[in-house]
Amino acid sequence: MALLDTSTPILEMNGITKRFPGVLALDHVNFSVCPGEIHAIIGQNGAGKSTLMKILSGVYNADEGTISIGGRPVRITHPREALQLGIGTVYQELSLLPKLTVADNIFLGREPGNGFVINEKALLERTQAVLRDLGITSIDLNVRVEDLPLAQQQLVEIAKVLSHELKILVLDEPTSSLSEKETAHLFELLKSLKQKGIAIIFVSHRFKEILQYCDRGTVLRNGKVVKTLDLDGVTEDQLAEMMIGQKLESFYYRDKHTSLERGEAVLEVKNLSIRSKVKNVNFVLYRGEIVGITGLLGAGQNELARALFGIQENVTGTIIRNGQEIKIRSPSEAIKHGICLLTENRKAEGLFLEMSVKENITLPSLVSRFLRPPFFINNSSEERAANEFIKRLNITAHSGRTRVRSISGGNQQKIILARWLLKNLDILIFIEPTRGIDVGTKAEIYQYLYRLAKDGKSIVVVSPELPEILGISSRIFVMYKGTLARVFDEPSLISEEMLLAAIQGRNGNGKKS
Amino acid sequence: MAKRVNSAVTFTKQSKSRNKNSRSLLVYLSDFSTVLVALVLFVFFGLTSTYFFSTANLVNILKQMSVVGVLGVGMTMVILIGGIDLSVGSVVLLSGAITGTLVYNYSFSPWLATTIGLFAGIIVGLINGLFVEKFGISPVIVTLGTMIAVRGLGQAILWINNSWVWVTNPFFITIAEGRILGFPIFAGIMIGLYILAFILLKQTPFGRYIYAIGGNQWAAHLSGVPVQRVKILAYVLCGLAASIAGIMTASRIGVVGPSVGNGMEFDAITAVVLGGTSLSGGIGGVERTFLGTAILVMVLNYMTIRGIPGIWQAAVTGFLILIAVLIDRLIRRRAEV
Repeated sequence: MALLDTSTPILEMNGITKRFPGVLALDHVNFSVCPGEIHAIIGQNGAGKSTLMKILSGVYNADEGTISIGGRPVRITHPREALQLGIGTVYQELSLLPKLTVADNIFLGREPGNGFVINEKALLERTQAVLRDLGITSIDLNVRVEDLPLAQQQLVEIAKVLSHELKILVLDEPTSSLSEKETAHLFELLKSLKQKGIAIIFVSHRFKEILQYCDRGTVLRNGKVVKTLDLDGVTEDQLAEMMIGQKLESFYYRDKHTSLERGEAVLEVKNLSIRSKVKNVNFVLYRGEIVGITGLLGAGQNELARALFGIQENVTGTIIRNGQEIKIRSPSEAIKHGICLLTENRKAEGLFLEMSVKENITLPSLVSRFLRPPFFINNSSEERAANEFIKRLNITAHSGRTRVRSISGGNQQKIILARWLLKNLDILIFIEPTRGIDVGTKAEIYQYLYRLAKDGKSIVVVSPELPEILGISSRIFVMYKGTLARVFDEPSLISEEMLLAAIQGRNGNGKKS
Repeated sequence: MAKRVNSAVTFTKQSKSRNKNSRSLLVYLSDFSTVLVALVLFVFFGLTSTYFFSTANLVNILKQMSVVGVLGVGMTMVILIGGIDLSVGSVVLLSGAITGTLVYNYSFSPWLATTIGLFAGIIVGLINGLFVEKFGISPVIVTLGTMIAVRGLGQAILWINNSWVWVTNPFFITIAEGRILGFPIFAGIMIGLYILAFILLKQTPFGRYIYAIGGNQWAAHLSGVPVQRVKILAYVLCGLAASIAGIMTASRIGVVGPSVGNGMEFDAITAVVLGGTSLSGGIGGVERTFLGTAILVMVLNYMTIRGIPGIWQAAVTGFLILIAVLIDRLIRRRAEV
């Protein structure tokens, strides 16, 4: 390691300024990274993290400021140029082609061969080598990417970027779809890259990971650098306060939730099975409670939630709502029975990016609420309702007419929440409601879940994040290999370790499948 | 993967930001690039040809726009949901042939014959919609099939009467030549349909659903939107518009022959694209298609006035599409980066 100078920055960004219409996204940001360090970028949604990274990777051009690599000033105007300079980026949104195989994706545009015909054998060997270097052995190279679970797609994405010669690796929230084990594995990998002298920039909302694995961090707030600091000995609370710019107390949520009082049964699930994914699940959901469902990736919790909304195939079993057996074969039937679902994949499964905030919020309620007979939309009451929710949920948008494409992730999530709050259904099912969302917004969403339960709604939250599940649930279900393995009626009495043990099927006294 | 949308956005006016720097001006312009192009052409043609601005010619332009314009109304809806309908040209023939034959050979009243003709268009639209939605076949393939089948059917009906049928009943002459308060009924039908379609798209849940489905079909399904029904209805409306265009064409020409409506589907698609409605769905509207039709017809009209041989029309139309798409793309790119 003697050759490696780890104190001179490999990358320096100076005075970076970027304006969007009406917004100053970055305001003279100075940022530098040294070889062999993992440098975290910390900030709330809209703080400018993604913009800064997009400037570095050539997606955006800065209005002002300079970038130099290894002391040499460079201009990066296109993602290709960034790659040529040794800057590789793994984005939060996957950039894989779903219909192509793993191997095809990793070497897309650089396939081995004579220029006309791809040398399939060499392609597979190289792919294998890349994945082996990364310690990934569980992925079949000939499988189409769309057939892989999201977490494995993420690994393929990372492998794709790492198959280039890199000096600087940018990871934009790479762990948001990974389980804890997979995250640990990823960081194992990052450590080995670090030893090779690669500078790693890590954008994440998860303080725990940041503090556990990163060396230094730069905190952004409203487009400005608050501080660049050594992360040794820093606590989560300190980080959160720097990021939000105010004291934390008001953001805690726990304990309150256990005080929820549950009412009568609203939904009863009997012997629900989904072929090869969920086996004989039985439970009752009550009025005014928040049920947290957790488990390892693929334990069946997501499928269970989707089955209750009518978007899961091969479902058998009985569902009883208010004493009557019902069939849920489509979302519109689920909605008719008062059930809605907010999935983790908000861009693909929730939003209409080209439509306005207002139109996104009111879509399911148009006919039931905003119809002016015989068949017109009542614009003024529609606008009023949308504006009310924009205010109530603190959605940052110019107005109800702003296009959803142009607003940040946390606000997009709130729009979907607003959509279903307006629809005012009795049972709300959330899959990973706070995925990719900063602590401030998270706290707001938790507050909302609590208030909803208090108002007599029944809430189901599916999440792999144990602190979240422990913090907000009034009951916790643990799924293990497709069965409902354990139910904790008193979340305040259990620790994260106990919950983790149950998730991994290591429970001493639980029901075994 | 990143799907770059190649057309201007919907007509909704974005809240204008205070600082009018060059970028937000460009964003603003990209919303109205079609309007600008239409206006510039209009003024340019008027200044370089004295006849162009005459009332007679302006009325003529409106009449020339009418058939393609009516087809464009239906086509816009189908394209907005991410589909396409290649069968509209054949429906023009079918509805004309049915209506004409019923009146000419079987002495039906023109009202009844027209109703049956329109119904034929609805049936074709329904078949298109059902095949695309219930069996999940690509709309290009389905409507290519109905395009051929429906043209064949129309020609078979004409064959009863030696392949030609006269449409000279006063009812049809009124459609083609009649005026109300000096305004031609022919163009009035088109304008009326545009107003209806505009209200349908912007002011009813059905219209909102069309944009939602075109933007993100799965998310629309998850929001409880009756996706299948809306999409099938879009095809039905497209078939209906095509059969209206068919009656209009028959009335105007006064005779229905086997090649009526040939290639009209592409004129309609051209008008939609020129207007700036995205072929991938979700973005655009009938008001844009109206402008697209106007641009198309104005250019052809101007060429005629200036004595440019008709043989050049196809070439010019083709380049027009390329230029329209290019201008739009350039403005958008400058605005986005």
